[in-house]
Amino acid sequence: MAKHDTPMLDELEKGPWPSFVTDIKRQAETKPECWDILGQLELSFRDKITHWKHGGIVGVFGYGGGIVGRYSDVPKQFPGVEHFHTIRINQPASKYYSTENLRKICALWEKYGSGMTNMHGSTGDMIMLGCRTEALEPFFYELTHDIGQDLGGSGSNLRTPANCLGQSRCEWSCYDTEEACHHLTMHYQDEIHRPAFPYKFKFKFSGCPNDCVAAIARSDFAVIGTWRDDIRMDQAAVKEYIAGNYPSNGGAHADRDWGKFDIKKEVIDLCPTNCMWMEGGELKIDNSECTRCMHCINVMPRALRPGAHQGATICVGAKAPILDGAQFATMIIPFIEVSADNEFENVIEVIENIWDWWMEVGKNRERVGETMQRVGLPTFIKVMGLEPLPQHVREPRSNPYVFWNEEEVPGGFDRNVDEFRARHAA
Amino acid sequence: MAMSIEELKAAILNKALTAPKPQLYVKDFYKCDPESKPRVIKNAANDLVKEGKLSFWSSGSTTMYAACARVKNEEGEKGVN
Ligand code: HEM
Ligand code: HEM
Ligand code: SF4
Ligand code: SF4
Repeated sequence: MAKHDTPMLDELEKGPWPSFVTDIKRQAETKPECWDILGQLELSFRDKITHWKHGGIVGVFGYGGGIVGRYSDVPKQFPGVEHFHTIRINQPASKYYSTENLRKICALWEKYGSGMTNMHGSTGDMIMLGCRTEALEPFFYELTHDIGQDLGGSGSNLRTPANCLGQSRCEWSCYDTEEACHHLTMHYQDEIHRPAFPYKFKFKFSGCPNDCVAAIARSDFAVIGTWRDDIRMDQAAVKEYIAGNYPSNGGAHADRDWGKFDIKKEVIDLCPTNCMWMEGGELKIDNSECTRCMHCINVMPRALRPGAHQGATICVGAKAPILDGAQFATMIIPFIEVSADNEFENVIEVIENIWDWWMEVGKNRERVGETMQRVGLPTFIKVMGLEPLPQHVREPRSNPYVFWNEEEVPGGFDRNVDEFRARHAA
Repeated sequence: MAMSIEELKAAILNKALTAPKPQLYVKDFYKCDPESKPRVIKNAANDLVKEGKLSFWSSGSTTMYAACARVKNEEGEKGVN
């Protein structure tokens, strides 16, 4: 495989920022098939159309996911990318690696693939970019047997679950996100490795409302840590912040002088629910109005922290599709205990409730968030066996009618629509 | 009454062999037995893949099923994609 003329791609090497073109050229020194990536991309720029063929039957035996087939539609011109499949590897919880493990994976990928990686994909997996069909099985064998790692999800599978680093590093985590993610990953191995649904389904776990894995935007089922009781406060530390003795935001903005810390301007006035005030030199919070946005806690971490009665909020139905617009997940369960003591039984119950309904009612290629939108939130809440709560209400009603079901009215009522229609045509 | 797993697998395979399009969504198999739960049908279809009778076809985002007899992979003479 020879170097190709790539004048347009070479433009992307100019400027002070990193360039994927430079990276791929460097890789091509040892992996000559990488010249063909650049050659084909240059051709695509020229033709203004992709030369990748999308999808296929490729995979490893026994699995129906984890490998995304990619082929060149001009393989004669670019034999190095005739097959260029993507392999997803399930990342460890919180993406903790040893350098030893990373070296092994990279060496394995140099042996069987292009050596190019994307760390990490949006789902969370390590993405190995580009290998031939015949290399899939040997790569998979060594990955699972010698390194002890496994493929992630793709297609209509449960996608590789992901989590924030939670209690392993972060004092704000309201439950053990790593344990929850790991437990559910192991519990649902069949759903991760084989297609299980009308379309993809993702779980993500964040330990607090800062939501460092962006669960609310990127997952069908977001488990976001929260607390029920009051924000814990240390008034002495509040005074230290006011006096300028503690750096705000843990010193995160210390690269510039922002002037003296002003608790009114930087905390109280920015509280989205206006539920904070100073009284007699003390900071006060009306916790019944607090929406757990984390702002005040982020600014004054030594003075404020999440309450002690901890659990999570469950939001359902985020998606980021190309058509039809993106949407955040909708709050469904304001508070649920999340505990390894019962093996996350109550969370699993909610998940399977959703799956049973969505598999039945969801259309082909319809994310659960779209199914919810189609049937409406009141119906979804009923399906979930929940009582409507004030937190489910987003805006004042726009429909003036009130509908009652028979079972909602004491004594019920009998109504034979057919008999009525026999006398009054519709 | 719901079909037995073997009856269900036979019905799914028959559908995959006779449907106008070779590639089918898992939901297309639900009609093979309205009495069976979607997860049972999904498992039966996945079993047929293990047995080498059906194959998965994946776009990357979505997975479909096809009877092996009706499709060739990209490396075969004539692809279906
Ligand atoms: C101009 C070129 C390309 C276009 C227009 C394109 C378009 C798309 C579209 C529309 C999807 C969603 C597919 C679906 O819903 O079935 C997708 C997914 C994907 N594409 Fe491409 N693609 C291109 C090039 C590539 C290349 C070069 C690669 C890798 C070598 C690639 C890897 C992927 C992967 C891994 C996914 C799956 C993502 C997921 O799981 O949701 N694509 N692409
Ligand atoms: C101008 C060049 C490129 C730009 C600006 C670009 C940008 C991006 C961005 C912003 C993402 C999402 C990152 C995230 O996970 O948050 C992404 C994902 C991805 N890129 Fe690129 N990319 C480029 C070239 C390429 C090339 C040359 C390949 C492969 C040959 C590639 C393969 C992928 C794949 C497979 C993913 C998705 C991984 C997943 O499943 O989440 N990209 N790219
Ligand atoms: S989401 Fe919250 S608990 Fe998790 S790492 Fe971020 S700040 Fe910490
Ligand atoms: S967490 Fe947010 S809503 Fe609650 S008191 Fe602090 S700033 Fe206000």
